[in-house]
Amino acid sequence: MNIEPTELEKAVVLKVVGRMDAENADEFHQACDRWIAQGTRHLIADLDGLQYVSSMGLRAFLAVAQKLQSLSGSLILCGLHGLPRQVFEMTRLLSLFQLYDDVPQALAAL
Amino acid sequence: MDSPFACLTLPARLDSMQAFRDFVHVGAESAGLAAPETDWLDLVLEEILVNIARYAYQPGTGDAEVRYAVEQPGQLRVEISDAGRVFNPLASDPPALGGPLAERPIGGLGVFLVKNLVGSLTYRREQDRNTLSFTFPAPKDGG
Repeated sequence: MNIEPTELEKAVVLKVVGRMDAENADEFHQACDRWIAQGTRHLIADLDGLQYVSSMGLRAFLAVAQKLQSLSGSLILCGLHGLPRQVFEMTRLLSLFQLYDDVPQALAAL
Repeated sequence: MDSPFACLTLPARLDSMQAFRDFVHVGAESAGLAAPETDWLDLVLEEILVNIARYAYQPGTGDAEVRYAVEQPGQLRVEISDAGRVFNPLASDPPALGGPLAERPIGGLGVFLVKNLVGSLTYRREQDRNTLSFTFPAPKDGG
């Protein structure tokens, strides 16, 4: 899994590419925590390149989203498709997140 | 006619995951399964093996065993076992899947996913081992 951050005016975009599993889900969680600690309140996860996510990844998404919500911020998901989208659907997590097709749409909504 | 099981035993640790995955992929290939089904099989394996690696032997260490047999074209029988504490993951309550974000519990989704992705899922405790047995993929509902 590769995480590429881009700092924008209204949010930080984290482009996640590859597989998020038990071995690396913590990397995503920690990357989010670092941005939150620096004052970022809106994180946009660009998941177009995410090929796989297990429950350990779901835990990371949930924990980050809950933390940001408690700080009046948000974790926004973009480009979720394929297996990861089905995993979010199966666990009824989709409705808990703001979802957009791509980053420009997410930015427009902020 | 019984199919012989292929079997791999490794330390129950996260860094064994790739070897278990590669091992079961050989079976998946001989059953005629391909992506995306093999990705879903990875997910099932990961959810079960992570539980074993995190909880079965705590605070010690131990092994996990993965066995598979091609039951019929397109279908694998997989059994995953450990010699850790008695634990039947199928007996746990289903996770709460409703409610707002702030109230959503963070755990319990792994077993839930497994139950949704496999067929004929059973647990047995024999010879001091926990064994989960299932077929993959899950049988298709009519339609």
